[in-house]
Amino acid sequence: MPDQEATLPLPAASTAPREPLAQAETRQRSSVWQRLRQNRLAVGGVVVLVVFYAAAILQPWISTYPYDQLTGGMRNTPPSAEHWMGTDRSGRDVFSRLVKGGQISLAAGFMAVVIVMLIGITLGALAGFFGGWVDQLVMRFTDILLAIPLILLLITSASLFRPSLQTTIVVIGVSSWPGTARLVRGQFLALKGQEFVTAARAMGANPARIMLQHLFPNTLAIIIVQSTIWLSYAIILEASLSYLGLGVQIPTPSWGNMLQDGQRELLFGAWWLTLFPGLAIFLTVLSFNLLGDGLRDAMDPRHQRR
Amino acid sequence: MIRRVLMVVPLLVGLSLVMFLLLRLAPGDPATAMMSPQAANNPGYVEQTRKNLGLDEPVIVQYGIWLRNLATGDLGTAYSFNNKPVLSLIGERVVATVQLQGAALLLGILIAVPVGIVSATRQYSLWDNSVTVGSFIGLALPGFWLALLLQVWLGVQWGWFPIISTGQADADWAERWKFFVLPITVLALPNIAYFARFMRSSMLEVINQDYVTTARAKGLANRQVLYSHALRNALLPMVTVIGLQLPQIIGGAVIIEQIFAWPGLGLLAWDAISRRDYPVILGITMVTGAVILIVSVLVDLVYVLLDPRVSVAGSANA
Repeated sequence: MPDQEATLPLPAASTAPREPLAQAETRQRSSVWQRLRQNRLAVGGVVVLVVFYAAAILQPWISTYPYDQLTGGMRNTPPSAEHWMGTDRSGRDVFSRLVKGGQISLAAGFMAVVIVMLIGITLGALAGFFGGWVDQLVMRFTDILLAIPLILLLITSASLFRPSLQTTIVVIGVSSWPGTARLVRGQFLALKGQEFVTAARAMGANPARIMLQHLFPNTLAIIIVQSTIWLSYAIILEASLSYLGLGVQIPTPSWGNMLQDGQRELLFGAWWLTLFPGLAIFLTVLSFNLLGDGLRDAMDPRHQRR
Repeated sequence: MIRRVLMVVPLLVGLSLVMFLLLRLAPGDPATAMMSPQAANNPGYVEQTRKNLGLDEPVIVQYGIWLRNLATGDLGTAYSFNNKPVLSLIGERVVATVQLQGAALLLGILIAVPVGIVSATRQYSLWDNSVTVGSFIGLALPGFWLALLLQVWLGVQWGWFPIISTGQADADWAERWKFFVLPITVLALPNIAYFARFMRSSMLEVINQDYVTTARAKGLANRQVLYSHALRNALLPMVTVIGLQLPQIIGGAVIIEQIFAWPGLGLLAWDAISRRDYPVILGITMVTGAVILIVSVLVDLVYVLLDPRVSVAGSANA
């Protein structure tokens, strides 16, 4: 397409007056936001997530009953005006438990992803930047961890230690970082040979400064997308572990253990005990996937929505 | 390439070390875990059992013994499961898992590839948009939840399919296929969703390339361009994706086999973990690890063979 190329401006850096960096960044961010806003699926995901997180944060005010209050004589009652999502086999209000469980599940997912990102980014950055034996060590360890099916590793470690909310978070966080480390390493490896890094080096910046000030900001887009996708994985992993009885323990509710607690009652027609927590997991995971997909397209114009 | 093949062995040794340390550093004792509470209160008996299992030696010595046995192809004997050799335990169970997962994988590919192709050739049509939404839904449905709903509705209430797989291996195929329907549905759904999405974008990428435009410009029929020029190249990245899915596929077996009591490796892993049967857990991770590592090498190899642009030397450096 020769016509189009002729109208392209000359390399901006040499001719255009330099604009302040902060301004350029703001503009880039707002164009990402604009592209994201046009993606209806991603916007739908954001709406669902905002509602769920708001409910989790405002849990004390939203709950219609204390989540662990036993209502005598109200066992396994179907949804009604008093109990919007019915009651469970101990006579507890399912809606209030769902909101509390959401608080636990969303917080657990968030904390696990924080651990994944801290380990993954640190090791990936060190491996990519320093290369040599550091790279070899980190990458071979990643290869080893990636050769163990994640669920198998999680179930093994979760059952060896005493199951609890904290164990679940740590186990997911510590087992799930290799993919992120590989991704960040690749990005650092590609960036460190570029001219702006050489320039920074020539001006006497030390490695820590180059990594934090120059390389890290350029990796941020990938990290944000990766975090979004991992939030959905972490929530489904927490739910799986809790469903298997290896995660959050009753009476503390989580979406996964509510499913486990209600599955026997499903046989006797109490569908509300499994439908609502399952839907909550499904909608959260779906929304994070839609948002992650939208973010990836919006941040990388080369990766057009196909 | 040769370096990658040779790396499999040290990686497997590293894998065994990681698992060995994880199992030994964890609190709790397999000797007391396998006894009745009364027996566990008898210190002499506990000590004798630990000695019999070789647990009284220092961890590093235990690891050395285990590694030496491994070199002769011996994965040790199980603490429980009638003290059978780990290797024969795995051998008994592996067929059931391969049957189930193989069928789910095959079904996934057979459905996803045509669905993805049609989506790519009719981008943004009603069909395409439905496939996009459908695959997002398929990827987000938690497998254990779907399994539970299917068990209750199709299994218990309508009675179409058995919900527990005990005895399925002895059944006649006229009856036996029913055992497969529910677990295969649960396992194949995310495969279909993932592969269809990937097939679609892979096909779109190829369709927009110059040589496809050239073929069209030469006046070739659309069908011929799509199926003889584009499809072959679009299928190539699918090999990688299917290979990369393998760890998730094996992992998924653990949960789904436990839910359906499917007598495969996943259920064996689950039972071994809950009984703290260290040799069996180690054995299963070694076997699955070996399969995953070998498949990842094979995927690269197939890629080199199918795509002349990828050189062997290039992949060795990567």
